[in-house]
Amino acid sequence: MSAALQFLGLLLAAAGAFFFVAGSAGLIRFPDQLSRLHALTKADNLGLGLVALGLLPFAAGVFAALKLLVIWALVLLSGASAAQMVAERVRAAEPPA
Amino acid sequence: MAAATLLRASGFFTLWLALDGGTQAADLAIGLLAAALATRASLALSPPVPRRLAPLAMLRLGLSVLRASLVAGLDTARRALDPRLPIRPGEAAVPFGLPPGPARDQFRLLASLQPGTLPVAVDPDGRLLVHALDTRLPVERETRAVEALFAAASTQGAARD
Repeated sequence: MSAALQFLGLLLAAAGAFFFVAGSAGLIRFPDQLSRLHALTKADNLGLGLVALGLLPFAAGVFAALKLLVIWALVLLSGASAAQMVAERVRAAEPPA
Repeated sequence: MAAATLLRASGFFTLWLALDGGTQAADLAIGLLAAALATRASLALSPPVPRRLAPLAMLRLGLSVLRASLVAGLDTARRALDPRLPIRPGEAAVPFGLPPGPARDQFRLLASLQPGTLPVAVDPDGRLLVHALDTRLPVERETRAVEALFAAASTQGAARD
């Protein structure tokens, strides 16, 4: 059972790594700063979520598992707030045509 | 007020247990102290507002956010990796349905997890400016749908305590 869960966890973590790669591709390829923020907030958030979920079967206990979820939630919160603050500054500096 | 205090204190203590991982008496004593101080700061910085939380609507909102962030990640990844780079960045102005205040800020956080949209600013007419990765998507409709879900989950003013 736990071996099967851990195998599933590895698959999830690998899927998470894929989204980090995709997010990085977006960061490089998207043409403007606001679009690049999309790459960071959307693809990387999903990537981190999948990695955190994938690591759950490997956690030493309930509180270690909870810590993984707390990390995910904190990154989501700070990422979403920081992205909007960056976006607001970018937009004030160079209003769209 | 008492309910809010208890709820926050137990939340902070659980957070401490997750972060610290220690189970010695001394660890727990420091954890209790930390939770008490955090609760005090939390109540001072963000006093509990009388608001009625609807559990079922919150569940609906939670599931919708999870699903949206999955769709958003897939959509952004697909566009980023597609050799033709199918994006058409632009902005849409969406009128607010929520009153100004914390509820609006919380809604903006959620909205930034939606596929293809990123709240950027509030324009002089009080509309939310949303940056879209592809303006061909129904940006306004989806933003308003999240706002409606959010408003249903947290109804301010209908006080109980």
